[in-house]
Amino acid sequence: MASTHKFLSPNDKISTKTLLHEAIPLTGTILSGTYSDNNIKNYSHGMFQSVYDYPYLSSSANHIFDITFGYASDSGLYNTSNEQNTKKTNIYNQMAQVMVGYDKTGSIQQFDEDGNLADGTKLKENVFLSFSRLLVKDEIKRGSFQMTVSVTGAYNPGEFGKTIIISDNGAVNDYRINSPVGEYGILYASNSSGQTNIDSTMTSSTKTGYAPCGLIYYQAGVAVISGSVFTLSSSGGILSSSVDGGGSAIDFGNGFTFSDALTGSTISSSANLLRERIQNIQFNNTVELNSTIYFCRINHNEFNYSANPTYLSQSQIRVKSQASDAPVSYITTVGLYSADNQLLAVGKLSEPLRKDPTIEYTLRARLDY
Amino acid sequence: MAFQDNSGDIIFDVVLTDEGRRRLSAGDGTFNIVKFGLGDDEINYTLYDTTVATQNQDIQILQTPIFEAFTNNTSVMSSMLMSIPRNNLFYLPILKINEVADTQKTQFHSDGVFYVAVDANTENNNDVANLTSSIAYNQQNSLVTGVMLGFSTQKASNYIRIDAGIDNDAVPPSTNISDLFLDETSYTIEIDNRLGTIVSHDGKTRLDNASVDDDNIALYVVSAETDPAFVLVNTDTGPNSAEQVISGARSTYLQFRIASTVNLRQSDFLFNRLGSTTTMTNKGGNTSTVNFIDSLVKVTGINTGYSVDLPIRFVKL
Repeated sequence: MASTHKFLSPNDKISTKTLLHEAIPLTGTILSGTYSDNNIKNYSHGMFQSVYDYPYLSSSANHIFDITFGYASDSGLYNTSNEQNTKKTNIYNQMAQVMVGYDKTGSIQQFDEDGNLADGTKLKENVFLSFSRLLVKDEIKRGSFQMTVSVTGAYNPGEFGKTIIISDNGAVNDYRINSPVGEYGILYASNSSGQTNIDSTMTSSTKTGYAPCGLIYYQAGVAVISGSVFTLSSSGGILSSSVDGGGSAIDFGNGFTFSDALTGSTISSSANLLRERIQNIQFNNTVELNSTIYFCRINHNEFNYSANPTYLSQSQIRVKSQASDAPVSYITTVGLYSADNQLLAVGKLSEPLRKDPTIEYTLRARLDY
Repeated sequence: MAFQDNSGDIIFDVVLTDEGRRRLSAGDGTFNIVKFGLGDDEINYTLYDTTVATQNQDIQILQTPIFEAFTNNTSVMSSMLMSIPRNNLFYLPILKINEVADTQKTQFHSDGVFYVAVDANTENNNDVANLTSSIAYNQQNSLVTGVMLGFSTQKASNYIRIDAGIDNDAVPPSTNISDLFLDETSYTIEIDNRLGTIVSHDGKTRLDNASVDDDNIALYVVSAETDPAFVLVNTDTGPNSAEQVISGARSTYLQFRIASTVNLRQSDFLFNRLGSTTTMTNKGGNTSTVNFIDSLVKVTGINTGYSVDLPIRFVKL
């Protein structure tokens, strides 16, 4: 009996999972300059600032990440007279409750420098960078995050003479899992090549040359950066005095230190200053690709004839000169069907595949979900 | 859809069809792939040249550019590859519209389509005497050739007949086609579910569709074993029979009518959206303006994969 379909056996089907990574580079010119800040969206509530990859009024624009600032209510910077004081503590608490969670009494825990929540240094004044799902996809790849920021003492937008590199160095094998939102790694600041901007006394005892300065939550796609990266070690930061340009503090912008900006400026204004200091952000995202592979096994004696109207001339097979010639057909399409003959998936080859009784094929049709 | 890059390795581009996505989103277990088929929609076998050296016979076919996958499930796999145990076949069966059977009842209209009069007014002015604007009957009160009664399915009407077999007298009609593994015993009929349904040629048996896809294409499956009102074995082995269109070994034939849907009978909505208007000769010998929708009904032999498209025009006064 002639047939046009072949049933798939259990051995012809397999499910797999593949992790797919994309490199995401965000250059500083997109953050500050290329579009004259038309790609920067501020909101009337002033809680955060959004960065787009194109002027955001255009339908072509994609949201890439948000910038916001916050400090804990027991931070030394907390003062009810501060600009947006309540909003900044609300932001901190919101971020902390989602990413750090609650202690046994139900109180919100604070961000911890090394992930050991029981003790150690807490990160109380932070910059929060929340990357959009468009970029992060399923998660940021561990060990791939890197950010270069300017620590030049004098505020000079677009000038990146003195920089440090913030990265999740070593996070491929060294990360934490005690967060409600999944895995996170420790961010470390290190000197850019040939520079000595980080106070060597602030570097980790276990990781030479690297000073802990924040956390990165891989599945949430949020980087928490301590204000210490813009503060001299003499004022509680990690920077050496060599970056201050002869003064006693870093001008974060508009004559403000980072602490001044956090207390005296709005979140949007502080975000504007921060963007001028970001030279580059890059990471790899991860897509968890679940696939089902159907092995379409075509034996030598199968699919050698065609129902194509051009295959016959008065019912005679065109590709034969006589009956004893081998039948020939050409595969261009593979259809995957349900039991009730509905075409559920279709695969196209890039060129016709000759099929005759001397040839066998196994075509792997992979469906990704 | 664009062509695929065929400059390097063979690439296999697989996508879910719209029906596949619909079933997947339904989450009711209907997305279950159990079998596969192969197609050769782009191939023109007339380019195969048996008169030249073997290595050059298919050189033009192998250069055929291939489209990317269409996601519309009804737009691909229109011609399928077949598995037949024997390699020494020289002739294959086809499906052929039979317009000579049953004294012109199966003949298409001279316009090249089969008309379906969708309501009683279009058929015969609701059988009201002295009204002559209807189009299904002529002045002699005989059915117009190529017009089906889509409303009065119990009345005798024209119908469609498709014959299967080898259309070459090199394999004479006396040959038992089942010996060649080429017997066609089952058919699928695809029709737009908004427009019509399938009934037997005498109007007494109404088919239930097997499924309706996201494009409103209803699939009917009939076989000689379970649907004797639709599929019959062709026992005529005469070489020059007047009612046969298959000149060689004959298999089965499929005959059916199309009943109009309630939507078409009671509303002009689809006519306004999908159709247009034209004039037809009416019962009085003059012309009537009718709404019409042109559609295709596809009949495919399940065993042989061969298919024919039937142009159908639904009309309404």
